[in-house]
Amino acid sequence: MLNELRDALINLDIDKTLELVKKAIDQGFKPIEIINSMAEGMRVIGERFEKGEYFISDLIVSSEIFKEAMNILEPLIMKEKEIVKPIGRVIIGTVEGDIHDIGKNLVATMLKVNGFELIDLGVDVPPQKFVEAVKQYNPDIVGMSALLTSTMMNMRKVIEALEKEGLRDKVKIIVGGAPITEEFAKRIGADAYGENAVVSVDICKKLMEELRSKK
Amino acid sequence: MYVVREGMRPRERIILTLRREEPDRVPIDLGATWVSGIHAKAYYDLRRCLGLSEKPPRIVDIGQQLADVDKDVLELLHVDTIDINRILEPRAPYLHTYKFTAVDGSLKEVSEDEFWIWRAPYGIDVEMPKYVEIIEREDGFLGYAEGRPFGKIPKTGYYFWGLGHALADVKTVEDLKKYNWDAGKVSDSVIEILRKKAEYLYKNTDYALVNPFMGSPVALGAFRGLHAGGQTLRGWEKWFVDLRFRKPLAESILDHIFEVMSYNIKRLINAVGEYIQVQVIAYDDMGMETGPQISVETFREFYKHRYEELIGYVKKHSKAFTFLHSDGSIFPLIKEFIDIGLDIINPVQISAKGMEPERLKKEYGEQITFWGAAADNQHVLPFAKPEELKEHVKGLIRIFAPGGGFVFANIHNIQPGVPPENIVTMFKTAYEYGRYPIR
Repeated sequence: MLNELRDALINLDIDKTLELVKKAIDQGFKPIEIINSMAEGMRVIGERFEKGEYFISDLIVSSEIFKEAMNILEPLIMKEKEIVKPIGRVIIGTVEGDIHDIGKNLVATMLKVNGFELIDLGVDVPPQKFVEAVKQYNPDIVGMSALLTSTMMNMRKVIEALEKEGLRDKVKIIVGGAPITEEFAKRIGADAYGENAVVSVDICKKLMEELRSKK
Repeated sequence: MYVVREGMRPRERIILTLRREEPDRVPIDLGATWVSGIHAKAYYDLRRCLGLSEKPPRIVDIGQQLADVDKDVLELLHVDTIDINRILEPRAPYLHTYKFTAVDGSLKEVSEDEFWIWRAPYGIDVEMPKYVEIIEREDGFLGYAEGRPFGKIPKTGYYFWGLGHALADVKTVEDLKKYNWDAGKVSDSVIEILRKKAEYLYKNTDYALVNPFMGSPVALGAFRGLHAGGQTLRGWEKWFVDLRFRKPLAESILDHIFEVMSYNIKRLINAVGEYIQVQVIAYDDMGMETGPQISVETFREFYKHRYEELIGYVKKHSKAFTFLHSDGSIFPLIKEFIDIGLDIINPVQISAKGMEPERLKKEYGEQITFWGAAADNQHVLPFAKPEELKEHVKGLIRIFAPGGGFVFANIHNIQPGVPPENIVTMFKTAYEYGRYPIR
């Protein structure tokens, strides 16, 4: 039953997925079990995207199906008080001067469906706003995005601002966006570079492990 | 057999390369389209670097804040192409008049060569067209074109960004009828002025003439392309979901967009088709860094037949070559466009996955012209030392130029922050090493 649900999601069949979610509830499966099988499906979709078999459009469609399924499951979760503890807390934003948000939004969605708690600061976010958000939310990870070669340098300013406030070592920093490279990420003192949304999820999970082993 | 041609005229040079024959040298474009231009800040720096008179750049694309390129720069960089809509010399003595209700409610009538000085947030004065009004807000500046809001620029920004998605909340095909689709249609007076401009520039200059305008001013970005139009009207993510789960709605939106695009292209070609060498069909981004946004199957289902009709009309009713812009990694889609007769693909984003220059030239070089690909704009142009850049540009010319089918242009608009020395080096290298036979 749950395997069938996972496969319906992998095949991007929205009607069948939602029908199977309802059926699974009727048959007494717990929301957490249902969510786990869908998360497994999302992982496979991510792998297919990595291999070039699925397109960005498929990735977006899959997260849409996931969201619709969650709409069915959420009232039950509330009722059963079955609290799913987030893997970690991430604040994310597009840096100052840049308002491209497609990549950032996709990373946010993929992190959410993979169990992270997300605080999205939006676009054109000045360094000071990142600093304030780190103070206010105490996140595990800070994610920054930029599309332009003219704005990517502002990522360094954010890291410098965090250093100045003594907050740099409290968080892991991941950066991404079209012109960003692994080398650039290292050069500005970020902890990781997320080449795309799928890879970024894996990296954030690894960063969480690093944080945990430190504590 | 190779024929050495010297002193060829720009128009002739472009036509030959578009027929995939070798002219005397690789033709060069800067500023003839909305995707091969230069940002006002970069242009300001470039003029200083070239030792030319300092003055506020004249804004030709208000959303992207592109500068109109002056005659002195066109000549110094050996540019072969011009936009028939340009206001700077060489220009035609015909001007469009904008009549509109301004933000304060007053009626305004301004000519397209009337400007006012605006201190842009990126730190220089620019000449803004008088049909543009800018109002300061707490989080940026709100721009109005002909009294209608078109975008917002952040206080430290370089561009105006669009304002939301007009059809984001639409649920049914019936709801779509309430939208003012006709607002995207080009008016008779605009067409007539443009016809006169094209005729004048055709008779009085040697430049290759490009019409980058397809009846879609910045405020109406919905009609710049089928895919981009869907995304502009519905939202980027939502459009993908429409294409998958709400097909009747998606098809109906595309019918409306196509109707406007087709109306505009037909009328533009009927008016300027005999004078221009290149007509832009669409600015329609379908690629990402890592691959196409959509599958070939999706392209065929929704877009291919519609583009075939647009391209077919231009080819049947004029000698103009057809130009389509799509950023990103689009290798398999280029084949689809070749199938339906597209002549020119731009900007050839060589740093995207699967867009390796050798592979593109080998696979498609005999069937389509590459317009762009001057230098890797994401990793080399902004950062390399001039000497490294020169070698990089030479390498690309060696790959793309043989056999023609190559117009040298930056990959998309030149962005602020690109060192002006590098811009000069890029164009200088094209002129010096773009001579046929390519060695």
